[in-house]
Amino acid sequence: MEKSLNIELDGKITKAYTGESILQLAKREGIEIPTLCNDPRLEPFSSCYVCVVEVEGMRGHQPSCSTKVAEGMKIVTDNDSIRKARKTALDLIMSNHYADCKAPCTETCPAGVDVQGYISLIDKGRYSDAVALIKETNPLPAICGRVCVRPCETACRRNLMDEGAPVGIDYMKRFASDYDLQSINKYVPEVLPSTGKKVAVIGAGPGGLSAAHFLQIQGHQVDIYEAAPKSGGWLRYGIPEYRLPNDILDAEVKNITDLGVNIFYNKSLGKNLSYKEIKAKYDSTILTIGSQKGSLIGCEGDDAQNVFSGIDFLKNMEMTGKTADFKGKTVAVVGGGNTAMDCCRTSIRCGAEKVYVIYRRTEKEMPANPIEIHESKLEGVEYLFLTNPKKVNKDANGVLKSVTVLKMKLGEPDASGRRRPMPIEGSEYDIELDYILAAIGQKTRVDFIDDINKYAEGGQLEVSRWGDIVADKKHLQTGIPGVFAAGDSVTGPATIIEAIAQAQTASRAAHQFVMGEELQEPKKEFLSKRDHFKPQVSTDYMGKYDKQIREEMPVMEAENRFNFEEVELGYASEEVCQHEAQRCMECGCVEVYDCDLKKYATEYEAEQEKFAGDYHQHQIDFRHPYIEIDNNKCILCARCVRICKEVVGANALGLVNRGFDTYVAPSMGDSLTETNCESCGLCISACPTGAITENFFFKPGPLKEEKAEVICNYCSVGCSINVNHHHELVMKTTGAGGLVNSDGNLCQMAKFGYRYMNDVNRITTPQLKQEDGSFKDISFDEAYDIIHKRISSVEADENLFMAGARLTNEEIYLVQKLARAAARTNNVGSFSYFNRGDFYAQSANNNVPFDQLKEASKVFLIGDDIFEKHPVIGYMIQNAHYIQHVKVEVINPKGSDKLSHKYGSLGDVGNFYYFFKAANHYLLSNGLENAMFLDGRVDDFEAYKTAVLAENFHDLVEKAGLCCPTLVGDFVKDYLNEINSILVFSEELLTAETAREVYNLSLISGKLGKTASGIISLKEKNNSQGIFDMGAQPNLATGGLAIGSQEAQDKMKAVWGVDAPVVVSDIKALIRGGKVKNAFIFGEDPVGTTFNNIEEGTCMDKMGFTVVQDYFMTETAQRANLILPASMPVETGGSYTNTQKYIQEFEASFKPKVEKTNPIQLIDLLAKFGLNGLSDLSDVSSEMIKFLPQAKEETKYQLVFTAEEGNASPFAFGSDYLMKRFDKEFTESFE
Amino acid sequence: MNNTQVIVGMGSCGIAAGANKTYDAIKNIKEAYDCNFVLKKTSCVGMCFREPLVEIIDDTGYFLYGGIDESKALEIIESHLRDHEPIKEYVVKSDLFPTDDDQYFEGQVKIALRNCGHIDPENIDEAEYKNAYRALKNIGSKDISRKDVIKTVLDSGIRGRGGGGFPTGMKWQFAYQSKNDDKYIICNADEGDPGAFMDRSLLEGDPHAVLEGMAIGAYAIGASQGVIYCRAEYPLAIKRLDIAINQAREKGYLGKDAAGIKDFNFDIYVKEGAGAFVCGEETALIASVEGERGMPRRRPPFPAVSGLWKKPTNINNVETFANIPYILLNGAESFSKYGTEKSKGTKVFALTGKVKNGGLVEVPMGMSIRDIIFKLGGGIQDDKRVKAVQLGGPSGGCIPEYLLDTPVDYDSVNATGAIMGSGGMVVMDETTCMVDLARFFLDFTQKESCGKCTFCRMGTKRMLEILTRITEGKGEQGDIERLEDLAYQIKDNSLCGLGQTAPNPVLTTIKYFRHEYEAHINKKSCPAKGCLTLLKYEVIPDKCTGCTVCAIKCPVDAIDGARKEVHFIRQNDCIKCGECYSRCRFDAIKLS
Repeated sequence: MEKSLNIELDGKITKAYTGESILQLAKREGIEIPTLCNDPRLEPFSSCYVCVVEVEGMRGHQPSCSTKVAEGMKIVTDNDSIRKARKTALDLIMSNHYADCKAPCTETCPAGVDVQGYISLIDKGRYSDAVALIKETNPLPAICGRVCVRPCETACRRNLMDEGAPVGIDYMKRFASDYDLQSINKYVPEVLPSTGKKVAVIGAGPGGLSAAHFLQIQGHQVDIYEAAPKSGGWLRYGIPEYRLPNDILDAEVKNITDLGVNIFYNKSLGKNLSYKEIKAKYDSTILTIGSQKGSLIGCEGDDAQNVFSGIDFLKNMEMTGKTADFKGKTVAVVGGGNTAMDCCRTSIRCGAEKVYVIYRRTEKEMPANPIEIHESKLEGVEYLFLTNPKKVNKDANGVLKSVTVLKMKLGEPDASGRRRPMPIEGSEYDIELDYILAAIGQKTRVDFIDDINKYAEGGQLEVSRWGDIVADKKHLQTGIPGVFAAGDSVTGPATIIEAIAQAQTASRAAHQFVMGEELQEPKKEFLSKRDHFKPQVSTDYMGKYDKQIREEMPVMEAENRFNFEEVELGYASEEVCQHEAQRCMECGCVEVYDCDLKKYATEYEAEQEKFAGDYHQHQIDFRHPYIEIDNNKCILCARCVRICKEVVGANALGLVNRGFDTYVAPSMGDSLTETNCESCGLCISACPTGAITENFFFKPGPLKEEKAEVICNYCSVGCSINVNHHHELVMKTTGAGGLVNSDGNLCQMAKFGYRYMNDVNRITTPQLKQEDGSFKDISFDEAYDIIHKRISSVEADENLFMAGARLTNEEIYLVQKLARAAARTNNVGSFSYFNRGDFYAQSANNNVPFDQLKEASKVFLIGDDIFEKHPVIGYMIQNAHYIQHVKVEVINPKGSDKLSHKYGSLGDVGNFYYFFKAANHYLLSNGLENAMFLDGRVDDFEAYKTAVLAENFHDLVEKAGLCCPTLVGDFVKDYLNEINSILVFSEELLTAETAREVYNLSLISGKLGKTASGIISLKEKNNSQGIFDMGAQPNLATGGLAIGSQEAQDKMKAVWGVDAPVVVSDIKALIRGGKVKNAFIFGEDPVGTTFNNIEEGTCMDKMGFTVVQDYFMTETAQRANLILPASMPVETGGSYTNTQKYIQEFEASFKPKVEKTNPIQLIDLLAKFGLNGLSDLSDVSSEMIKFLPQAKEETKYQLVFTAEEGNASPFAFGSDYLMKRFDKEFTESFE
Repeated sequence: MNNTQVIVGMGSCGIAAGANKTYDAIKNIKEAYDCNFVLKKTSCVGMCFREPLVEIIDDTGYFLYGGIDESKALEIIESHLRDHEPIKEYVVKSDLFPTDDDQYFEGQVKIALRNCGHIDPENIDEAEYKNAYRALKNIGSKDISRKDVIKTVLDSGIRGRGGGGFPTGMKWQFAYQSKNDDKYIICNADEGDPGAFMDRSLLEGDPHAVLEGMAIGAYAIGASQGVIYCRAEYPLAIKRLDIAINQAREKGYLGKDAAGIKDFNFDIYVKEGAGAFVCGEETALIASVEGERGMPRRRPPFPAVSGLWKKPTNINNVETFANIPYILLNGAESFSKYGTEKSKGTKVFALTGKVKNGGLVEVPMGMSIRDIIFKLGGGIQDDKRVKAVQLGGPSGGCIPEYLLDTPVDYDSVNATGAIMGSGGMVVMDETTCMVDLARFFLDFTQKESCGKCTFCRMGTKRMLEILTRITEGKGEQGDIERLEDLAYQIKDNSLCGLGQTAPNPVLTTIKYFRHEYEAHINKKSCPAKGCLTLLKYEVIPDKCTGCTVCAIKCPVDAIDGARKEVHFIRQNDCIKCGECYSRCRFDAIKLS
């Protein structure tokens, strides 16, 4: 097609194709127009109105997806009016989008830790992956796992379900972090290459350590200067060891210094370290100095001896390493925060006789963590609520004697929202005391301000009237360019997780500063929230989740706590932790990383509450085992409805009701499983939001995914698929838009058949069967030796090699090379083509290219199994039927009406072989053959004709078992009438001889070999064609040459340097006759897939020594003498040849779970026989290519008469364990 | 009395008013006394306000009796037929003497409705007697070419009567020019506007006019199949269409070589619509005929290129088709002589609302709205003041009193912000709250939105919510601007006519009655006293005699007061039913 139209697009003159939409044109021109309802696979629909543009001369805005370009059109794709319309569309959609993008836990966390994500990893026992995820935002998980104040748990929706018992988020974080710390494969973040930039961090507290972590992994050199002799700041000097052991702190600090961060101790800015020095050495500075100055009670007499600030008390103990001696003493702690808790519980541990906490409000108002209050009470702390010190009384020496306290009552709420305590007149009384610890707040000490300002350039450091460092909120830059501040010293005393959050901001800004970039905040992400619509209640979550009791933290017995050992003991086992993980209700949307709606809502700054009003609440429908429908997230683009109609033809989904009440539902409102749904999952691929998603059987996170592109290893269509994984944990598969399925359509096998990749029950080492029938792990070398010995100890033709049709070309090539060059036998084959006629070796030669289906005038489906066995071809046919109005008719097996909701049927056929033979007879006896075509292009016509006409037409018709006798004639006439007709069938259903007669039909009628006309013959397995092309047949050499031909022999001799065998035997007869002494079965499960009883089907019992290579312990493997572990395709790489004879390569993307991949094992084995020269897959590939024909040869078509129907395959599922496994899983999931 | 005919008007309006009983009563008398007159049925004459109507034609003249129930039927049979004394006070129209209702017919020109009320719609012979199918037969007998048919239609200047106003001849020409062996012609009888019944009356009164119009169209564009998409809520229309189609087939006006035109094979079937308003939109209509959900799709391609089953398709409205045979038979000029420069011919209106004489009128284009209301319609009920007229149904707009001299033609009406639409004309007096009216129409359209486009589905809903809160006294500052902003965005960003026009009632009421909106929002009061939640019934202490009637009648016991003492209405409990107001004999209850 030619670009013939002249268009003005955003002021630029461009050429466009006739018939293309503005959206398509803009995309080609690199202009991104947002769209939600458009799917390139489907007819334009125009419902979302997000893709609007302006066209000169047309009223209002035009949806670019359905507006076709026209000559001279002037189009504007972006201006204020358009942006406003797009934003309004998104605002309106969002005003009825009762759903959460992210879970409340993550949203509430100041540092934004992906809680739902790491719980999903903990659920799968992937603790180091969980830690890796946490460390993206929080570098101190083991510390936070102990002492975080847990705003996430306050926000957790489990509180609604289980009456205030949130998911044990922090407990799980601690478990995963501790596990990782002790793991030999602990998570080590990747450090980017050095930028040559240096950043100084002042203070090694949580903020400083975090900032150092974030900046170091970006490739900057970070040095921390710490005033104290040890790291951790408040973590070490404020929090007592019974809560946070120093070894845990040290371990996490070490993780950071291991990245290359230096910490210089006893360096105090303004004292023994000058900013002058810092400025000279570093490109940027981050101040994370904390709030270290304690406050006293602030009443008369608080200068008495034995009155301390709590933090000084705690810090002093840590600095000196000496426990305070409170034996027999009475201590009062003043205050109600976490420092007060640390002080009172430490006092108990220091031997105090009696410890009071004096707090002026009630327990309800206490800011301390409730767990801490609870534990302190267990430990014997006594609380004096509604009490306030009025005066400290000292003795003559100025030593504390007692304190006079006042009783309080609560008045009106103050600015903090808490009720203000009011003294009760005349309620004073005295308490005898030995010590008072004041825990009522800290101050920031900025004693280096003069030093820093003396040497600062471009600005000055300022301190607020509360004594904190002034830094702008967005970037935390202080008055001095390049000097940032974070943590308590900016915010005043706050929490660890807030310090970490600040460190994120400051380190992001410092990074931008040192890289010479403008300081920029990340764009504010749009987040849809259910809370925008209404307060959540427990009934909103009933259904999918049940109540489940929280796994509480085991603690040390209270009577054993008179020491500083850690009180909280951690979850006892993985089971406990994973059980707790199950409580996560997965509030965040699984599509959060892929959602187009969220992407555009962010881009156009949509507001969810702008048009707040009526909204819908739908029950989430997860009745279908693979497909989950959440109408709350639906935007009514109808892509699911349309793809089900236009591509699948199932029409399982529809729109219900009108106007605002419209929603998408399975037809008749039933469960999807009750409809014509084929469970292909194309609706999932079409949904631009999270309204239709995979009904995951595991917690899917969501997690950020990487994609590994491979070729599907189920059927022979050859679809490119993306294996989406998180650190090789396969999360889902999606269409990759490859050569065959450029539109990205995938079928149920590819879409849902990925579970095996996560199955941990793999065979990972060679195993030898013992006398008692059990298997013992052996080394690869031992296995090779055994195999070498077995082969060498028998006659060459007593060996048999079977290669699975799921193997790569390279693997099949190596298997047959092992047979021919090492064992010197032609006994090589495949159970997938066991005992079937030889026509299937050539059936693919004349297949119509798939993309010509849409140019056909009519498609005849032979049989009714295309949508089950090769669904993607079914989609191509249905789409051609829908868009191009290509007629489709089914020739049904007797009694089937499986496709009646899609296409008309020509009628039922009892036996396809006789039907097509009868059709050929009819053609020839009525002189309907295409003489022009036959003449000169087809061999043996006359002989064929004679043979066919010698048969009795009526007998053929009778044997064909037709629904009506005229069917043969009707079909032939219909078939001949069509200009371009294609016969489509799956080889599984037809014998090779039947397929041959179909082929004969297309020859006699002259339909073969023309554009969009002829045959599409679909093979069972992903590399069925490779079995023939690679020579895994006794009579075929690699490249399809006859094994006995001189050319083949010469080639093998030339490439391998050995004389190849010439004797060709009947494999079936060999097995039946018990002639096989050694059998090598690579990637096939004949025992598990046979239709016959096992003895008859594979005669495995008649074989001598058997070696089986597979991923899993298949039934065949169980019967083997020696098992070899197999690497999976995504771990191996290689190429498959699809049923169109396209050779498609793919890379290995996963680390193999076996020590040696399949090709390496075979290469090693060949080397055992002295066949050296191959070392890796690319060597194999280049050797293999030497055998392949260099150019397509023009040969004449052959008409071959078949006398008998031939044999059906004795094995189901192409003799492949994975196909069988998927089929079983799939079927059972609907039961 | 051989030539005497008694004809009962049996359109839906007549039947609703009791015409069946009237008919049965006359029939019983006729049979009981073996009277020598012919009893017949016809359809609506348009005088819906006088139903049931009985027409008597005898040697002396023509008498149309109005408001004839069973007993009056007896009276006129006795007096008029037996005693030859017409009862003048019941006569609404006669060729012998003037009546009070004559003005209703003055100024009307009946082209589309030419046979309505004058023939038995279930009897093709009567229709043929009134020239039905003559234009079609002429095509065969005079060998009129397809191009000539289209030319005549073009020359007549007729524009689509369904609301769009697109020149019919041009539409036919496009369909004619589309090359395809299969073409379709569709009659859009999915009349869905609240208060509109032009198409129903036409189909019930003269189905053959529509069939003939379709057949002529089919001949012109080359279609072989016709479909009448009629809403299922019109059972009588469907029944009469079916009868008419069968009769037309028997007479050879449909079928092979229809009407004697060689190689013109054409047939029609009726497709019942399930009653979705949006199916009046032509692409949604096509989807519905195809068995799909009635949802509009983008044009182009226009149906003339790719319509039903993706074949070239012409779609016209009932009234348009009904005009066609007349134009073909009498020439383009017979039609184009009426009307204005750009709007030719006549237009049927369904006159409803607070007008005295509601019914169907057919007037030449260009007559002023005021004349239609005051001359034909006889003015406003209870002689209240007219406030506005809603033209064009939910897609149309309100025209205020001061613009009532606007002539009815496409362009003049559009200039006011309303649209001609299919001919619904709702008259409102001073008691109609314009905010509530806009809310009413928007409530209709938002419910009838097919749900496809974001702006129409969500935007009209949000507009409705704003309107609702305004009428409930919860309007906020900026609501008018919010409404306008959304309205213009919806108009600019909708796929089909429903969405593009849905905000019109809101925009026109804001344009002409902004003060009413402001009163609701700022003063929390409804000037027209139409919004219940904003109303307050209060006792006027000076007038209250303490008779207790109001307290007794109040259904929710919201009125306190002892005998002979001033009563008091507890506002929190009052449900504003107005019972006290209407019961009080001392005008002691006021509404504010």
